[in-house]
Amino acid sequence: MSEPGVFAPMGAPGLDPPVPGGDRRSKILGGGSARTTWIAIVSTLIFFTVAGLLIVRSTGWPQVRQSFFDPEEFAYAFPEILAKFGRNVFIFCVAEVLVLALALLIAVLRSLPGPVFAPLRILAAAYTDIFRGVPTILVIALLGFGMPALQLKGLPNSDVFWAILALTLVYSAYVAEVYRAGIESIHPSQVAAARSLGLTRGQSLRHVVLPQAIRRVIPPLLNDFIGLQKDSALVAFLGYTEALQRARIIQANDFNFTPYVALALIYVFITIPQTRFVDWLIARERTKRHGGAEL
Amino acid sequence: MRKWILTLAAMTLLAAACAEETPPADNGSPSASAEENQTAAECTDEYQADLFAPDTLTIGTGNPAYEPWYGGKSEAGSDWKSGDFTGDPHSGEGYESAFAYALAEEMGFTGDQVDWVSVTFNKSFAPGPKDFDFAMQQISILPKREKAVDFSAGYFDVNQALIANEGSPAIGVTTLAGLKDLKLGAPIGTTSLQAIEELVQPTQEPSAYDDLDLALKDLKNGQLDGVVVDFPTAFYGYADVVVGQFPNIGGEQEQFGLAFETDSSLVECADIAIEAMRDDGRLDDLKSQWLEVDTSVPVFS
Repeated sequence: MSEPGVFAPMGAPGLDPPVPGGDRRSKILGGGSARTTWIAIVSTLIFFTVAGLLIVRSTGWPQVRQSFFDPEEFAYAFPEILAKFGRNVFIFCVAEVLVLALALLIAVLRSLPGPVFAPLRILAAAYTDIFRGVPTILVIALLGFGMPALQLKGLPNSDVFWAILALTLVYSAYVAEVYRAGIESIHPSQVAAARSLGLTRGQSLRHVVLPQAIRRVIPPLLNDFIGLQKDSALVAFLGYTEALQRARIIQANDFNFTPYVALALIYVFITIPQTRFVDWLIARERTKRHGGAEL
Repeated sequence: MRKWILTLAAMTLLAAACAEETPPADNGSPSASAEENQTAAECTDEYQADLFAPDTLTIGTGNPAYEPWYGGKSEAGSDWKSGDFTGDPHSGEGYESAFAYALAEEMGFTGDQVDWVSVTFNKSFAPGPKDFDFAMQQISILPKREKAVDFSAGYFDVNQALIANEGSPAIGVTTLAGLKDLKLGAPIGTTSLQAIEELVQPTQEPSAYDDLDLALKDLKNGQLDGVVVDFPTAFYGYADVVVGQFPNIGGEQEQFGLAFETDSSLVECADIAIEAMRDDGRLDDLKSQWLEVDTSVPVFS
């Protein structure tokens, strides 16, 4: 997803769009009054205090703290890992652009009507079946170690190239299915209407079906993009020093797992705003479509 | 003159008295001097309760286990699968396997009482209870690592070497500066990677691999100009040419040690055993028996 909105920090406001008739809803759900708010706060506090104490008082905690939460190690590892995270950003951004294009092509191929296009439909279906079925890390390993071994002239040797290609192949399969769901959600009467206006099949797809379909599937597309961001870490398997590989090198040198915690924090920091944004999109879409008539 | 004789006589008496008094003190409470004379077997006996499994020395090592550290053939039912470049720790062949059985004997175990478990490199230092007494897989003793594990005395002095295949621009290079522009790789968690980063300081970032195997794959594919491995490994046919050996990183002799759980009392026993084996030349014998190296390989300057 290349639009800047993805990275724009989305604040909490707007998460819960105002719902007409909200008073009745809060009465039914039992929310809203000061007393219930207090109960929520107290029960949350008790829960987390007990959970925290259970962890901190456990016999293994001192060792775990030393191995996973060593401040000195964190201070050393965090900037080192962050410096390499730019490479992950490059990988998943390039891959996402390719995924959006390739997946759309596959989805359209798969939705082609008529017996003439049967081979294309079969090809597209086989593609999605295979690449949704094979674990991503295997595709990365097979391409990343296998293709350079062929020593074909003109094919690049770079780990990044093969990693991006592997991620694109795998995620296109998922995203094609998302697109297809969007395309199929558009009522056939719309195509019939477009065709009766004199639009060709291609034109009605391009101007009527796809614009609506894509708008509908933006939240799941974003979810897949977040998945892709996380899977960019699998490139470490090829020996390419991106963020995870840097973390592993430090971890193995120092016998300390704190670098993993540091990398997890980086991921949390970039993915949580995006997941919140997706939630907000879904909520907005729902209110728009149902005119706020939901419970 | 008489005074002299008297003084001498008195001193002799005193010395005799002292000499007689010392042994009972030794037999009584285990004083410091007594523990210094303890054999590894006695030590192990004393700490029997700390063994992972009773009457068994359980050793963790990597799987696959590579030559020249582990050799021999796997028997049916073993977790390890020997191949062209890999062996089985149960075989007693290969430097570390042979060393393990010699060490176990010194600590009072028979060969049958040695048990091997396969552990990943990370698992050997992850916090929490271990399912082995110590890990042995060419683990270099480094100060930062001592926070997570207790190391035994070093049992093997090691340095790093560069291997390459025919046609690589690395061949013929004799200086660290000459390696600067090459694309080098090494397995993760080894000091090989540190040798590249700290000694060569290459212009191209070195690649780090999970496994020696994967690094060699990229070497074969031509994605790497050379792979850095520990010096003995360089001679076991993993690549065509041993280009050169690296000087010690930071000027200190690098050593492999056994990694124990922190505060394990068995470290002491292993130390006694290792020192005994060093003193009577058994460590050197193992080295000459299992490691065929060509020490004339030039050191990068």
